[in-house]
Amino acid sequence: MTGIFDRLQTKIEDKNKQGGITALDLVDLSPSLRKIMRLMLRQIRMDYPQLCAAVDSLPEPERLSRADLDRSLETLTAQAWLTRLGEGARAVYKVNLRAKSGSSLASGIWASLDEKLKK
Amino acid sequence: MGKIVSIHSFRGGTGKSNAAANLAAQAALRGKRVGVVDTDIQSPGIHVLFGLDETNMGATLNDFLHGKCEIEDVAFSVGEKAADGEGRKKLAGKDLWLIPSSIRGREISRVIREGYDVNRLNEGLQNLIEKKKLDYLFIDTHPGLNEETLLSIAISDILLVILRPDNQDFQGTAVTVDIARSLDVTNLLLMVNKAVPNKYDYNDLKQQIEESYKAPLTGILPLNFDIADNASKDLFSLRFPDHPWSRELVKVAEAILAVE
Repeated sequence: MTGIFDRLQTKIEDKNKQGGITALDLVDLSPSLRKIMRLMLRQIRMDYPQLCAAVDSLPEPERLSRADLDRSLETLTAQAWLTRLGEGARAVYKVNLRAKSGSSLASGIWASLDEKLKK
Repeated sequence: MGKIVSIHSFRGGTGKSNAAANLAAQAALRGKRVGVVDTDIQSPGIHVLFGLDETNMGATLNDFLHGKCEIEDVAFSVGEKAADGEGRKKLAGKDLWLIPSSIRGREISRVIREGYDVNRLNEGLQNLIEKKKLDYLFIDTHPGLNEETLLSIAISDILLVILRPDNQDFQGTAVTVDIARSLDVTNLLLMVNKAVPNKYDYNDLKQQIEESYKAPLTGILPLNFDIADNASKDLFSLRFPDHPWSRELVKVAEAILAVE
């Protein structure tokens, strides 16, 4: 039987594992990757051919080679900023936005507020 | 694909929700299919302008974020159900949907306490555009910069930043403009609200603001008591279309609709 501290520890670890990208992280990406990530935010899911087409439509100086695109997709997936569904040419990618974290106020404060709001 | 229009201000009290509601209504009047979403989950308010309160609101964005319903279940048809006020009745039969945030204290405290899945929010907005075949989705954001407002800026096709002719607003708007440019927002528009009448040379003000922010100023809306007197009971620009505030707001709406 797990104790309260085990459960809390698991909760903290799960939270750390969640990862995901925030809108502010987009600022630090290269201009070409940022454009692709923004497009993916609108399209929700993009497969590899769609990503290649998106890269090809970028202005010449910002265009990524296939090797650079592949490396970027690997890195972003490893960082959990992208989620890959499937493998190889059939892989579909989607942006993984970091969950909005809850308040760090002591739970007793919320319980008390809930009680008041019931009335 | 429909366009996302984020309405933002660095500081509160700029009239952002009032402008968002009226701009969305003007777009709907011009035959566009329009959605308005209140992402100001901590302090929602735009629903009031569409005649909604706790008793007649139905499902909310909070219900969607907590997985209780689909996003289209939250879309409240203003044209069918809320065309009641003198101004709002002009929206009867128009394609305008409101996605309100909950005004219930427990729901607001829950979302602050537990947080939510931002992927679900983004996917909900994109699905709403597709399912309702929207031409425009207006996002009324929380003032200042936080995760939700940054996301809304990142996914927007058009960002309208509202400011008052006030030094605090001027400095804060510079921050917002910088962030928007860093996120590659291509269509950045500005709107001044609550300008004291007869205090400024509007041409001079326009020139100064456009030079400062390197973005077009689409309208200068005057401060006046008529808006305050309306007390968010109705959509002012529909109720008083010939009022100077409404005429300037229409200019802003037309600038938004003109973006390719």
